[in-house]
Amino acid sequence: MTFDINTIIYILEIIVGGLLVGVGVHFVPVGGAPAAMAQATGIGTGTVQLAAGSGLTGLLSAGLMMSVTDNLWAILATGAVGAMIMIDATMLAGSWIYAYAVGAPFASAKVNYDPITGFSQPPYVAPGTVGQGIPTVCFVSGTIGAAMGGLGGAMIYYPLVQINGNPAMSAIFAIGIFFVDAVLASWNIQGTIEGFHDPKFKKWPNAFKSCLVATAILAVVAVLITPIGGV
Amino acid sequence: MAEKTVVKGFKIEPKQLRIYGLVGSVVGIYLAYILNSVTGTNIFSFVGALAALFGVVMGANAVRRVCAYGIGTGVPSIGMLSLGMGTVAVLFGLNIAEQLGVGLLGVILALVYSLIFGYVVGLIANRVMGFNIPIMEEGLTDLSGAGTLAILGWCFAISGSLAYADIVKDVFNTGFLAIIFICGGLAILHPFNANLGPDEKQDRTLVNGVMVGGMSTIATGICALMTLGLAAGMVQIVVGFAIWYYFYVWYFRLAKRDASAVVGTGLLPPSAL
Repeated sequence: MTFDINTIIYILEIIVGGLLVGVGVHFVPVGGAPAAMAQATGIGTGTVQLAAGSGLTGLLSAGLMMSVTDNLWAILATGAVGAMIMIDATMLAGSWIYAYAVGAPFASAKVNYDPITGFSQPPYVAPGTVGQGIPTVCFVSGTIGAAMGGLGGAMIYYPLVQINGNPAMSAIFAIGIFFVDAVLASWNIQGTIEGFHDPKFKKWPNAFKSCLVATAILAVVAVLITPIGGV
Repeated sequence: MAEKTVVKGFKIEPKQLRIYGLVGSVVGIYLAYILNSVTGTNIFSFVGALAALFGVVMGANAVRRVCAYGIGTGVPSIGMLSLGMGTVAVLFGLNIAEQLGVGLLGVILALVYSLIFGYVVGLIANRVMGFNIPIMEEGLTDLSGAGTLAILGWCFAISGSLAYADIVKDVFNTGFLAIIFICGGLAILHPFNANLGPDEKQDRTLVNGVMVGGMSTIATGICALMTLGLAAGMVQIVVGFAIWYYFYVWYFRLAKRDASAVVGTGLLPPSAL
C-alpha cells in the first residue's frame, strides 16, 4: 500500500463516520422491551436493531448512489435520506399501532412540556409507566438521529470502496464498524433513551470518546487492506 | 411423570474453556486446511465448521459471564458486537498475511488483532462508560476472539480455502458472510438469551450453543452447495444435522433435569417426554 495524504483523509472520514453513528444513536428514541409493551416512550426494540436497520438502509442507498456517481456529497445525502426514511417509516407504523391498536396516548415521562409542540405531558402518562408511544419531540429527534446514522454509514462506506474497490467487502466491513459504534453508544445510554430532551442525552461525550478510540483502531486497520488476488 | 434420570452434565472453569476454545478452534481450522490440501479435495471443509463450534462455546460462556452482571441493553447487543469485531479482524488478518507473504498465518494475525481490540473495547466500557464489571475486559477479549474464530471457521467451511482471494470471492462477494454473521451471532448470543434467569446453568447454556452452532452449520452447508459443490455441501449439511440432533436431545434432557416438573400438553406423545 502507499501511504499518502489520501490515506489520512480516509482514516479521518472513517473516524468521523463512526462518531456520527455513535452520537446519532443518542437521538433515536429507543424504548426496548418496555416500549414494546407500551410502558415506555420510544420504538419498541433495542438500539442495535434500530441502528443496524437505519445504518444498513443508509449503506444500501449510498451504495446505489455510488454506482451512478462518484460525487461524495450526493452519496452522503442519499445515505442520510435512506436512513431517515427507514426510521421514520418505523416510527410512523409503530405510532399507528400504539394509537389504534394499543390505544395509548403519546406522552413523554422525561419532560413536563413537549419542547416542540408545547403540549403538557404528565396528565397523559399512565401510572406505573414511563410514558407511551412516540411524541412529536421523539419523532423529530429520531429523524435527526437517523440522518446522522445514515451519514455516518455512508461516510464509512465511501472511503472503504475507494481503498479496496470491492463494494461487497466494504459494505460488510462498514457493518462491522457500525455495530461496534452502535453497541458502545447503546451501552452508554443503558439501553433506552427518549431523544435529545432526555437527561441521559447529556452523557453523549462518553460515547464520543469511546467511539473515537474504537473507530480509530478500526480505521487504521481498514486503510491497510489492499485489493489483491484480482478482486 | 417419569422418574428423573441422571443426565450427563459438566462444569468447566472459564480459563480452561478459553484454552479449549482457542486451541481447539485454531487447530481445527488448520487441520481442515491440511486435510483439504493433502487429499486435494474440498470434502473436509466441514472440519472448519466444527472448529467454529469451539469458538462458539467460548463466546457463549463469555456472554453468560458478562451478561450475568446486566448490561442494560439486552443480550443480543453483545453478540452483534462480537461478530462486528470479528468481521473486521478476519478481513484484516487474512489480507495482511497475504500482503506479507505468509498467507497461512492469517488466522493467527486475525486472532491476535481481535484479542487486542476486544481488550481495548472492554477497557473503554469500564473506564469511560463506567460499567464497573470486573470481568468486562476479559469477557470482551474472549468474545472478540470467539467471533473471529467462528467467522473464520465458517468462512473456511464455505470457501474451502484460507487464501484471502478465495474467501473474498466465495464468502464476501456472494454475500454469504451475512448468513455467517447472523447465524454465528445467534450461536453466541442466543444460548444465554434463552436460558438466562436465576437457575441458569453452564452446561445447559453451552449445550444450547453447540445446538444452534449445528443449525448454523446446516446453513453454511447450503451455501457450500453453491461454492464447493454437491459432495462437500451435503457432507456439511449431514454433519450439521447430526450435531444439531445430538445436542438437541442432550439439551432437552438438561432442560427436563432443571425443570421442577415436566407435564405434557398432549401435543407430543408421552414417550417423547
